[in-house]
Amino acid sequence: MISRVEIHPGRYHDSVRLMQASKALQDVEGVSDALVAMATELNLGLLGDMGFDMNAAAGAGPNDLLLAVRAEDEEIIAAAHRALDDALTHKVAPSGGLDAPAPKTVGSAAKTNGANVALLSVPGEHAFVEAKEALDSGQHVMIFSDNVPVEQEIILKNYGVEKGLLVMGPDCGTAIINGLGLGFANAMQPGPVGMVGASGTGIQQMCCLLDDAGVGVRHALGTGSHDLSEEVGALSTLQALQALDDDPSTDLIVVISKPPAAPVAARVRAAAAACSKPVVITFMGENTLEEGAGEVLATMGMSEVTYASWPVDQQDHRPGFVRGLFAGGTLRSEARFVCMPLLGEIGTKEEDPGHTFIDYGDDEYTQGRAHPMIDQTVRIDRLAEAAADTSVGVILMDVVLGYGANADPATELVPEIEKAVSAGAAVVVSLCGTKGDPQNRDAQARALQQAGASVWLSNAAASLEAARLATSRTSA
Amino acid sequence: MTVPAAEETKRLQAPVRVPGVASTAIYGAVSAAGTQATVLGTSGHAVWLLVEDKVIVVSTSDSTRLPNGVQLAAGSSSDLFRMVHHGATVEIGHGRIMLEGLAVTITRWWDPRPALAVISPAKLAEAVAGLPSAVPDIDAGSLRAALVAGSPGGILLSARSLLGKGPGLTPEGDDYLAGAFAATRLLAEALGRDRTTAMIAGVSVPLASLADARTTTFSASLIHSALRGQVAEPAGALLRAFTGRGDVALSHEALLRVGHTSGPALAAGMVMAAQSLIQSVSNGGTA
Amino acid sequence: MSDLNQLLDNDPIVATAGTDMLADSIEQQGSTVSRADWRPPFAGTETALARLAADGRMPDANATAISRMLAVRPHFADVGVARDVFPEMTDRTFLHAGPPLEWERASGPMRGAIIGAMLYEGLATDPDDAAEKAARGEIELSPCHHHGAVGPMAGVTSPSMPVAIIKDGAGDGVSYSTLNEGLGKVLRYGAFAPEVIERLKWMDRVLGPVLGSALRSRGPVDLQSLIAQALQMGDDGHNRNRAVTSLFLREIGASLVDGADAPTAQRLEVFKFIDNNDHFMLNLVMAAGKLGSDAAAGVPASSLVTVMARNGTDFGIRLSGTGDEWFSAPAPPVEGLYLGAFTEEDASPDIGDSTITETVGLGGFAMAAAPAIVGFVGGTAAGAVRRTLAMYEISLTEHPAYQIPMLEFRGTPTGIDAARVVRTGVMPQINTGVAGKVPGTGMVGAGLVEAPMDCFVQGINALAATLG
Repeated sequence: MISRVEIHPGRYHDSVRLMQASKALQDVEGVSDALVAMATELNLGLLGDMGFDMNAAAGAGPNDLLLAVRAEDEEIIAAAHRALDDALTHKVAPSGGLDAPAPKTVGSAAKTNGANVALLSVPGEHAFVEAKEALDSGQHVMIFSDNVPVEQEIILKNYGVEKGLLVMGPDCGTAIINGLGLGFANAMQPGPVGMVGASGTGIQQMCCLLDDAGVGVRHALGTGSHDLSEEVGALSTLQALQALDDDPSTDLIVVISKPPAAPVAARVRAAAAACSKPVVITFMGENTLEEGAGEVLATMGMSEVTYASWPVDQQDHRPGFVRGLFAGGTLRSEARFVCMPLLGEIGTKEEDPGHTFIDYGDDEYTQGRAHPMIDQTVRIDRLAEAAADTSVGVILMDVVLGYGANADPATELVPEIEKAVSAGAAVVVSLCGTKGDPQNRDAQARALQQAGASVWLSNAAASLEAARLATSRTSA
Repeated sequence: MTVPAAEETKRLQAPVRVPGVASTAIYGAVSAAGTQATVLGTSGHAVWLLVEDKVIVVSTSDSTRLPNGVQLAAGSSSDLFRMVHHGATVEIGHGRIMLEGLAVTITRWWDPRPALAVISPAKLAEAVAGLPSAVPDIDAGSLRAALVAGSPGGILLSARSLLGKGPGLTPEGDDYLAGAFAATRLLAEALGRDRTTAMIAGVSVPLASLADARTTTFSASLIHSALRGQVAEPAGALLRAFTGRGDVALSHEALLRVGHTSGPALAAGMVMAAQSLIQSVSNGGTA
Repeated sequence: MSDLNQLLDNDPIVATAGTDMLADSIEQQGSTVSRADWRPPFAGTETALARLAADGRMPDANATAISRMLAVRPHFADVGVARDVFPEMTDRTFLHAGPPLEWERASGPMRGAIIGAMLYEGLATDPDDAAEKAARGEIELSPCHHHGAVGPMAGVTSPSMPVAIIKDGAGDGVSYSTLNEGLGKVLRYGAFAPEVIERLKWMDRVLGPVLGSALRSRGPVDLQSLIAQALQMGDDGHNRNRAVTSLFLREIGASLVDGADAPTAQRLEVFKFIDNNDHFMLNLVMAAGKLGSDAAAGVPASSLVTVMARNGTDFGIRLSGTGDEWFSAPAPPVEGLYLGAFTEEDASPDIGDSTITETVGLGGFAMAAAPAIVGFVGGTAAGAVRRTLAMYEISLTEHPAYQIPMLEFRGTPTGIDAARVVRTGVMPQINTGVAGKVPGTGMVGAGLVEAPMDCFVQGINALAATLG
């Protein structure tokens, strides 16, 4: 009999593998005892109990791999070594082989990975059948699609309430669940805030402001742009509010919506008041998202912050109207809300006279194209037109970053911004993004700033700047 | 053997970029300015890195999320870790881990410390009823007695007899202790047992040093996490289920499937700690 | 615990339908996603599908229907004579495969089989005489399916023919089929030569009585058990029945020798006849399927397909929720392999009630179990597996007893959901034999066919109309 004790310093292996290795060694013909383990004090004790030479393991510590074999001869020891190497060498598992056809419906897709969320972006007329199937098979549903008849939305949401499943949408652009962004969403640092929002870019703007202030958002449950209408009656918003109130990992709740129907707003406020956690409500038209974010920080006992901005002095721009070119519907609405007291009436259609703030995410401009957050072609055209239009003094536009959005919007916009600025127009950008976003927010901001645009993280601040520039020149 | 042209060398060395989900417990280490780390070991499922005196593990999607870990979306069948070598020096920081030919970007975070709802001792007793609190090779009698009595000395003594016991990177004795410590820490809070919370917090520092001395650095890292209430994802799910969020039987089964001995030992340690807390309440101790 | 808590406590696991961009961005974040290869539903079904979804009863109705289909226990109990077992049958009644049909529209093989059956019954002196009488309306045609029966290919069943009786061991249902004549020149493929008639006469004189007698002495044979075993021995239950026939012969062997009340020579003839016919059990497998599909019929709001059947002219289906109504479209041609010098030019359009096997999780749906006949699906075993895997998409469940070894003993896809057919565009895959289009030719080949989409479009619209 030969006994061999070896120490392999700093060699890590998981326990499954080490047990397999021990077993493999013991199975070698002619091996009478074998031990493969990390050299912890207790395992060294075991080595002694098995009658091996403890001196051979002198100095070994818990991060070292211990190998002990007792066998008939050297040849068998060598065979044991081969068995050990074999057991500890990583091998690739052979892949399955049988190629199953791709699932055809969201329900069958969910079966292949045990999904609990169905994310639908099929044409609106077909979304109902897919969503119903998902609810029937126990999945929460996010409907990115728009143009779903409201009576179908009501059926889905009532059914969701009945089954304890959340229906996010239709027309739900953004959600974050445990940090995973669905649709258009920004990369968030970890944090205690839970959000409910009937507005995609509203959620994104609030996420970006809070992230900039050092506050993380764990969940942002989109409910779709029609949820707070009188017909739908906030079915999903109330459900999401309750879920966040029950969630031990959420400390503070934020509710965001475009202007809701009055009786629905009252119900949401009553539900918020009944929550055990603080709830900050931002209804567009009552206050800005920046004001809402400030309220969140105050509730958390944090002092006010100045949100990131990359300003440029554009005082001597040419006089003229403000032309707002938006990709985010809520950002457009907020900009109007902020600017109207300063500028007076602001049109929402391209043919309107005077100041116009257009939502290029509207169906009218997205026929046959991706959303302007992805495909900027239409907005770049309009930017060039505004630059050439001498009645325009200030161009205000949003740039939305994050998952789902254009991979490098600044590089596409810079040439046209440079032309606009050299033509005498002022350009103000509302940049909605976080430091963690894949586009690298700060690099995007600097590129836009170098092209001559003044860049603001807060959409309200960008809007104010645009109005200030416009009024300073007309009054001068 | 021919030497590849410079252009080709560059192409061959272009890193494979993969996204990863990281534990918030390593937010500091991963988000800070870059630092160097050493590859302690690799397998098809994981790469263990020594970052200063702590271990961070990068693992595939088909392995368990650990409190000191980063999980990739790719599974072990993609064999990504073949390009990482034991002993190599790698870089970590700015939200990235550069593992030789593999660039891991942290895209999201998960919290390994489960937030637990408030629970009563009776409800907790109901939740853990019938679950095993022992594993064959671990004699936890003295640990149980020490936890019931709230005795720091007793806890240290019994931990000494279990640390490093068993094969593998995380010996079974360590897993049992980690389960017991994390459950004590988190459930004491959920039960409002402030005295127990203070006791376990007080004994954490000497326990952590003891673990450093008596077991693998990797396992000691997990015990440090457990003392802060940070656990592997399925262990957190079981604790949440104890407090009424989730199915206890299903979560327990899922935890048992983790590792070879790790899951059962963690689960048993957690159940034992829950029983000890309930026992200490009924022994008349108040918060 | 509520699903909403579950949602917030864990990382979401996502499935997507629609633009890939949304799925890509989830993968970009280090998560995985399951993508549906989604396409719009078949044109003309959108409104009906939305109505069915809004009504909401369909999932439960389908669950009820499929559980009834799976609850039956088909037992081969006895052999009777058609005129005795079918109460509505007159001396001039001829049952046939598929949806209702008139002589004028009947295909070559169907006419050939009717002519042959008239000659067999002594209702005509020669083929021309038979055809003239049939054209004059001297006989009455009625689908097998209207009588709890099924028949392969032409499926012609005339009053004197022996009929297998399948009883439900778990209920009161009964179903019927003719006995299989073998391959080559046979009535069901439209052949009516003297040897065809001769064989039919032997079948009513010897085969029926001897087999019935053996069965009565032995007791009923559990068909589901035989079919389940046969799938693990390379049968699909439609185009390959070698294993199930062998198993049946083992079941009945001793009773044929010992229990049947007949001269030794006849018992030996029956034994050899079954032994020489690899498809002897096809008719019994079909009748077993009919027992299940009849049990599943008549559940309001259910989109389960209870019948798929062809008469050589039309392909027709029935749904559980639409009662006795047929939804028919022209029978498609069969893509296949041809015997000898025959080509697709010689082939009649799709014919037969044998598609009942596909409606109960066999045949094309169990193709992965039958590597021996992969020639029909492009020649590879992997192709057969793909066909079966594709059928799970349109099936309501996986059969608890019929399992496929190659798929780790997964149950066969069972219970076609017409709503899923129109939603996904995935068509039921059918393995079938091909009859010659000229009356009297017989079998010319075998192959694959897809059910026509139009049947399903009609069916789904009719189902939606029943909701009120």
